[in-house]
Amino acid sequence: MSDSEILLKAKSLSKRFGGLTAVDDVSFEVTRLGVTSIIGPNGAGKSTLFNLLSGTFMADSGLVELDGQNITRMSPEGRLSSGMARSFQITNLFFDLSVIDNLRIATQALEPRSNLFLPLRKSTVAINRANELLEEFGLLECRDQFAGALSHGQQRRLEIAVTLATRPKLLLLDEPTQGMSQGDTQDTAELIKRLGSKITVLLIEHDVDLVMDLSKMVIVMAQGKKLAEGMPSDVRANPLVQTAYFGEELA
Amino acid sequence: MHNPQVKAIRLIEIFLLFSALALFVIGSFLGDTFFLRLATESLIFGGLAMSVDLLLGIVGLLSLGQALYFGFGAYLSALVLKEISPSFFLAIGVVTLSSIVLGWVASFIALRSKGVYFALITFGLAQVAAKVVYNTRSLGASDGMMGVPVLQIWTPFGFVDAGQPGAFFLITMLTIGALYAVLKYFLTTPMGSIWHAIRSNENRLAYVGYKAKGPKQVAFILAAVVAAVSGALYPMLRGFVSPELMFFSVSGNAVVTVVLGGVGTLIGPILGSVLLTSFKSIIGTWTVHHHIVIGLIFVVVVVSAPKGIAGLLAKYFGKTNSGKGGE
Amino acid sequence: MLESLQYIYAPQIVNGLSIGVAVVLMALGLTIIFGLLDVINMSHGEFYAAGAFISVSLMAMGVSFWLCLLLVPLLLIPIGFAMERLLIQKVFHYKDRHILTLLLTFGVAMVLEDGYKIVWGANPIKPSAPISGASELLGVMFPNYRLFLMVFGALIIFSVWALIYKTQLGAIVRASAYDKDMSSSLGIPVMRVYALTFAFGVALAGLAGVLLAPIYSVFPTMGRDFILMAFSVVIVGGLGSIKGAVIAGILLTQLQSISSLFISPVWSDPLVFTVMVLVLMLKPTGLYGGMKNA
Repeated sequence: MSDSEILLKAKSLSKRFGGLTAVDDVSFEVTRLGVTSIIGPNGAGKSTLFNLLSGTFMADSGLVELDGQNITRMSPEGRLSSGMARSFQITNLFFDLSVIDNLRIATQALEPRSNLFLPLRKSTVAINRANELLEEFGLLECRDQFAGALSHGQQRRLEIAVTLATRPKLLLLDEPTQGMSQGDTQDTAELIKRLGSKITVLLIEHDVDLVMDLSKMVIVMAQGKKLAEGMPSDVRANPLVQTAYFGEELA
Repeated sequence: MHNPQVKAIRLIEIFLLFSALALFVIGSFLGDTFFLRLATESLIFGGLAMSVDLLLGIVGLLSLGQALYFGFGAYLSALVLKEISPSFFLAIGVVTLSSIVLGWVASFIALRSKGVYFALITFGLAQVAAKVVYNTRSLGASDGMMGVPVLQIWTPFGFVDAGQPGAFFLITMLTIGALYAVLKYFLTTPMGSIWHAIRSNENRLAYVGYKAKGPKQVAFILAAVVAAVSGALYPMLRGFVSPELMFFSVSGNAVVTVVLGGVGTLIGPILGSVLLTSFKSIIGTWTVHHHIVIGLIFVVVVVSAPKGIAGLLAKYFGKTNSGKGGE
Repeated sequence: MLESLQYIYAPQIVNGLSIGVAVVLMALGLTIIFGLLDVINMSHGEFYAAGAFISVSLMAMGVSFWLCLLLVPLLLIPIGFAMERLLIQKVFHYKDRHILTLLLTFGVAMVLEDGYKIVWGANPIKPSAPISGASELLGVMFPNYRLFLMVFGALIIFSVWALIYKTQLGAIVRASAYDKDMSSSLGIPVMRVYALTFAFGVALAGLAGVLLAPIYSVFPTMGRDFILMAFSVVIVGGLGSIKGAVIAGILLTQLQSISSLFISPVWSDPLVFTVMVLVLMLKPTGLYGGMKNA
């Protein structure tokens, strides 16, 4: 695997909270395009790992590299301009603002800083991109509604749309199908598959079947450590993984 | 901004403009001094209220010490007019530039915090400043400074005598109106959207590419300027300045007018200020104890109509809208 | 050196301590209300004033100071309870509730302050100290009332701490603060607990008012003057931390007391405020803050 294939590299990442080691010496690589997933039972440290990758928390030790660039100590907005965007497990939109405003704020980063002080209509790049996203994610009809008034499914779609606003190289999706109905989950899975053909997606999910279906590569975590890594079929067959998920009984 | 709220704001703007013009025409015709002066003062404090609303209603920061900048503008204006030259534009210019600096400096102290802490720091800053001014001999200590000359203000239509109540009322209207226009302009820019985003969900902002600190600082400085320029008009109207202008009651009253008029609308606070000033003046003829009545009204508003008059209007417009087409 | 310690510093330290315990009492109430209820009580100073005014009136009617110490807090409890139940809980469900409760309590403060002016007039009233005379301690004379303040105040502070951390009632209060829904499902009347906690907090402020009245005298704006100090203590100590309120209270009043030896008293408030701002800038959660139930 040549280095130019690797988009995201995590090396020996660790994070402690008081006495608890949430992430323990985790290393992995994410190659370009396609969907890479992180799974693991509750408390495995997946969310903390995500937070380390996205800059929500700073790692105690270890390295994060995006496309060869060391981003370990970078702020979240810094990582965004380097090409990494993340979505949130608990929908984290601007609830008091309309759908189009949410998108416009997210796409504003495509414009130069000076445009912040010019009237909105001058930010044509941002506006066009926002309208594009509106259509792509089927949110045209709720364009002017408050984000807080949308249905759960619509909110989750908006959440992903906002994350894609700046056309990032790497998309971090944190449990995107959280709380969704079967139908919505299927649609979202299709969406993620389509996204994976154009950009690199790193996914945390609880729905193991969904993950196995979508991913080219699966990373399994348990108790803060990386337990296994590989193609879906290999990981599924791995006895360690089965034990971690289902306990001793099924192993 | 959604339609019912936009309608409510429009209505209040028209109402205020209309009543102001009516007052000017009728007042000037009847040779009135009292009402025109009262209206001028209410507009001046309305400007202060706007600065509170910019921070509270748009960015989401409650400042309990905007009187600091108001008083600063008033004192500086008085000093310029007395000691340098009785020029309206000079005073306004000096105040604008100095308040940018003051706001910038203060932002480093105040913006370290949010929420409660921000409110308390701004409260404390104003208390301290007020105390310092109160005890500074060269600024007149507790008596303040008097003897601010009556201005002759240059306009393209000739010199306007600030001593003329109607004329100065117009000048104040134009100044406060200009401040309002500037703030409204900012709200049409992406910076304005970011402010709303900060109020809505500050945590998400970094993930869409922006640090909150810069935009907050811009708003903070802008609010300081608006408050200071409003304050600069005060000595031109009353001929004196005193430490009372920095006291907590001034900041507090501004907050009351913001909530009363409609938080986040910018024009609502001006309406609130007009109502409060008129109210104080009316109640003042019966009793000195207007604070208790104002306090009671405020409590009632906060509990039952937290979005103020603009909010009630918006609700009404929203209802009539949905009555027609259904939600 | 020893002489200056004795004659100059010691009196200031003791004076500072006697005021310090009252400030701590007030800050305790404030920090409990914030720590456990998440409410910023801008009217706290007015309850302090209420305690002072009510005690003045009661004593004028012949009630002894000692009885006042007991009665005044008890009288303030139903008022605090009603305020929390009828006003604060009304705005609690809004998203903006921090600001709304701040504004609400600020409005109440406005009403109360003017109310005091109406009922008692604007002129300061100075009740005489219930204990007169002075005693000698380590070669220096200290007013007996101040000595009493220190001891009594320390006792109350200790009792509050014990009540919250060592009794079942305290456990119930802390549980309700920590997890409202869980406590509710365990059968705890959470709304009533909240209202009682608020009432308790303002009663402490009222008690401080009774205790400090003979020293600071009583006037309508006394609450507003004191509230910055109270909030400074709470912030420096850490919002919600009892230990923090005690330590910060003693520290800040000592700072105020000793600094008055060197600088004009006009500057002691700005000094305290500067310390508060510095703490906020360097350690925003205060000395012991960070957890709701610290």
